[in-house]
Amino acid sequence: MAIRSKTFRESYYEDIKLFKTIWIKSWIGLLLVVLAVLPLIGDPYIIYLINISCIATVAALGLNILTGFTGQISLGHAAFFAIGAYCTAIISSRFQLPFWICLPASGVVAACAGLLVGIPCLRLKGLYLAMATMSFGVVVEYVVITWDSVTKGVRGIGVPTLNLLGYPLDSNNKLYYFMIVLTALAIIAATNLMRTRVGRAFIAIRDRDIAAEVMGVSLTQYKVMAFAISSFYAGIAGGLYAYVMEYIHPEHFTFLLSVQYLAMIIVGGLGSILGSIFGAVFITVIPEFIKGLAQFLTLLFPAIEDKYDDGWNIAAFGLLIMLFLIFEPKGLSGIWTRIKTCFKNWPYTY
Amino acid sequence: MEVKKIRTVLLVIALICLFASPALAERGVTKDTIKLGLILVKTGPVAALGLPDGHGMVDYMKYLNDQGGVHGRKVKVIWEDDEFQAPKSVAALKKLIHRDKVLSLITSGGSNQTIANMKTINKYKISNIPNALMREFFDPYQPYIFAMGATYECQYQCIVDYIFNDMKDKNPRIGVVYAKKEYGKIGLKAIRERAKAYGVDLVSELVLPTGAVDASSQVLTLQKNKVDYVITCGVLPPVISFLKTAEKYSYKPKAVFGFNWATDDMIVKACGKGAENYIGVNFVGGWADDSPGIKLVRKVAEKYGRDAKSIGLTSLYVHGIGASYLFGEAFKRAGKDLNPDSLKAAFETFRDFDTGGIFPPLTYTDKSHAPPEMVKFFKADVPNKRLVTVTGWRTPKKMK
Amino acid sequence: MNAGLMFFIQLVISGIALGCLYALIAVGFVLILKATDILNFAQGEVIMLSAFICYFLVTTFHLPFLLAILLTGIIAGLMGFVTERLVLRPMLGEPVFAVVMVTIGLSIFLRSMAGILFGHNNLVFPSPIPKEAVRMGGIVLSQTEIWLMLSTFVLITVFFIFFKYSRMGLAMRGTADDQDVALLMGISVKQVFALIWAVSFITAAVSGVFLANIMVINLGLTFVAISAFPAIILGGLESIPGAIIGGLAIGIIENLAGGYLDQIIGGGVKDVTPFVVLFLVLMIRPYGLFGKKEIERV
Repeated sequence: MAIRSKTFRESYYEDIKLFKTIWIKSWIGLLLVVLAVLPLIGDPYIIYLINISCIATVAALGLNILTGFTGQISLGHAAFFAIGAYCTAIISSRFQLPFWICLPASGVVAACAGLLVGIPCLRLKGLYLAMATMSFGVVVEYVVITWDSVTKGVRGIGVPTLNLLGYPLDSNNKLYYFMIVLTALAIIAATNLMRTRVGRAFIAIRDRDIAAEVMGVSLTQYKVMAFAISSFYAGIAGGLYAYVMEYIHPEHFTFLLSVQYLAMIIVGGLGSILGSIFGAVFITVIPEFIKGLAQFLTLLFPAIEDKYDDGWNIAAFGLLIMLFLIFEPKGLSGIWTRIKTCFKNWPYTY
Repeated sequence: MEVKKIRTVLLVIALICLFASPALAERGVTKDTIKLGLILVKTGPVAALGLPDGHGMVDYMKYLNDQGGVHGRKVKVIWEDDEFQAPKSVAALKKLIHRDKVLSLITSGGSNQTIANMKTINKYKISNIPNALMREFFDPYQPYIFAMGATYECQYQCIVDYIFNDMKDKNPRIGVVYAKKEYGKIGLKAIRERAKAYGVDLVSELVLPTGAVDASSQVLTLQKNKVDYVITCGVLPPVISFLKTAEKYSYKPKAVFGFNWATDDMIVKACGKGAENYIGVNFVGGWADDSPGIKLVRKVAEKYGRDAKSIGLTSLYVHGIGASYLFGEAFKRAGKDLNPDSLKAAFETFRDFDTGGIFPPLTYTDKSHAPPEMVKFFKADVPNKRLVTVTGWRTPKKMK
Repeated sequence: MNAGLMFFIQLVISGIALGCLYALIAVGFVLILKATDILNFAQGEVIMLSAFICYFLVTTFHLPFLLAILLTGIIAGLMGFVTERLVLRPMLGEPVFAVVMVTIGLSIFLRSMAGILFGHNNLVFPSPIPKEAVRMGGIVLSQTEIWLMLSTFVLITVFFIFFKYSRMGLAMRGTADDQDVALLMGISVKQVFALIWAVSFITAAVSGVFLANIMVINLGLTFVAISAFPAIILGGLESIPGAIIGGLAIGIIENLAGGYLDQIIGGGVKDVTPFVVLFLVLMIRPYGLFGKKEIERV
């Protein structure tokens, strides 16, 4: 038997396997165990942070499929997210429909909206596309605020508790497993999608759209598909958001949220599933972490407590984003790969 | 094998779900301290509103501590910044409850944030005074929300009453300039209905966004429609933009009205002569008032090294002191045995409680936490760059 | 003249004044975009910071207004240099996305630093420009607006001459056209970039000073930059004249929508219309009105 060092693959199939080594399998198993026992030791604050990280992950996955894999920049992701959230809120509160109708419906409605934007935007590229999607976001915000009779406008709309087969998930701790399972499904689906012809077509379009077309990838079909899939993810994430917050309001879905999603995938790593997860968790959790750290410091040095300005927390967050990207432009997933290869090849690091 | 595995996992999950419900324990009160939370925006563009308010709240609690505290306990306030975003506000409340273990919140911030937190507030019995003034907070009755401040409906009804009764105009041409926020839309509806009750229709209804650079199209339209009374439903920056633009086009309606978030000395400081015809309503006393409550406010401010300039929006500082004042009083009434229930019960003993002119006299019972629906009118005093009180507390007139 | 026509003309004129502001902001964006392909998300923060700096120079340091403006410009220019050197230089040659993200990080950083340094209170600039409006045959323009239009005009002319005739301007245009070729021709691309950032920040400072004269100074000023986005795209990303025409067009469209549409449709179409127009224009001309169509090689 050959001694295995570095990657040693014998067939193409091995290269695209979901879990490439036994190690990956066991690490993921360990992660699942940790996630499973977490509610026992963590307080609702942590659980809530994980829940919103899950939502962010699903939305970021969607944006990464569109922007990271297919290369179509979108600054309107919050709009699709809002459409999903409102769809769930409206149909679950008006018609008392269960989640297994509401959530897919949110995804589908958002995907339709994605088609609506995707088709006229086919000719657009780069920043022009970004601005067109941003315009769509502004229009959606306007519609949500103005269409009082359906969306309840600026009063916001309440969302009934998610009822899982007769068992109401009325707290974040109870929602937790639901969120984890759905997020895991979303991750697996996205990973699988990228292993198929569709995924490869997306990447081909990103790398050189003209060359892709020459090779027989239908630009129209796949670009529109990317838009639809991405919005579908955003819609599902929006639906989950509605269930977690139990109340949504137009102010939750501003342009800044779109920028935040973009930040997630860039900080995490464009065109990387793992990157979407890292980025989503980073952008959601780090500000809270910094806040906690600051509070800890003021406990250590009570003298500065009155003088301390919370602006420093946010400044530190901004600085952290800059430093990360200056250090590793491929984002967190780049750092991850670097650390991984470092361990894998140790002691022959280079 | 696989099925078995899944089954075990499901069982574990079910068990965890069962045990995951958190236990209610005594929070935030020890022999010598009371821990209070405070969720208000501290950073970003909206901080101009959040900071003076929160400073007022914290300063009064410091003042209370320096007076010896309440029943031998000192109050410690932990102020969490929510950046005016609902998800962050929800996280902040969870952190305050589970990490810092606070007894209650002085305020849960704006309407959007408070409603998002409603369930937690009820579950953990967080008595608090939200900053927003929505009817939903007390109608239907919410056990732990103590609404303070006249609702937007009431404020705008009072304004329309003022046009008809004080300015004695029988057939006024009223125009509304509103922001597309809760207050704007609620305000617009209230004005429209109230004017209708007097038998008058609104002449113009125009949107003025919060970040408006200028208000040319709005002012010109109002001017073209010969509107005599402009009622603004927007916060300070857009109202200032509006007044400045109106001055530019020498558009001089008989009065420009504003509600509580725009009734601050700032408006006269910013617009000078442009604010001449500004009339505002507010449910807190003015900074320059001579009432004992406002004197206390100025005393507290001076004690902790603040003056009108460093505070910024003084009306909000007054509001902050007022909210903490109510909490101080509730602590006193709750006595030695302080817990979420006794705090709520203490609030509910308020009967026409007089804050000395900071707030109108207020009453809470165990059936209603409705705010006193009263406002004062303020007029611009241009030479002294401030607003002066022109009326006492007023309620909307009963309409037939 | 009848009142309806006057109303229209007045809307257009004040739209032009507003449009000049948008144009000024848009030019700041386009300068960087054209040379480096980066959409600088921190532009709004620079505008806001300059407004604050100018305010404090005038009120705390009691400098005369003109000197304060000059100093604000110099400070902004230095900020541009420093930003380029510390933040953008290390990113040279990295994917555009990462660089754009760095500017987002920078914007978060600068915004909170502004809060820390200057506080969150609404400040009122003691404007030296007289408040009395100028009336010309019934058309009203405030003196601030006249100054704004004049400065925009002067600044644009200066840019025009600079890019057309000066050596550095030519170098900049060359760099914008093709960085590799520019390098081969012996242009110091680094120097060009540093200068571009400085010039762009100075433009932002000018718009910031004018905003300070018009609006209340607070952190919210950053969002004015977002309302200038349609102006950049409408004209086409790479074109400075495009940015100006885009800015003016958006200003006029916004005002007309506010004056006419708002009474029919209602609900604040004023701030949505520019985006709708932008969307429609992009459907017909995917590279904006004056953007150049990229010829791609595979």
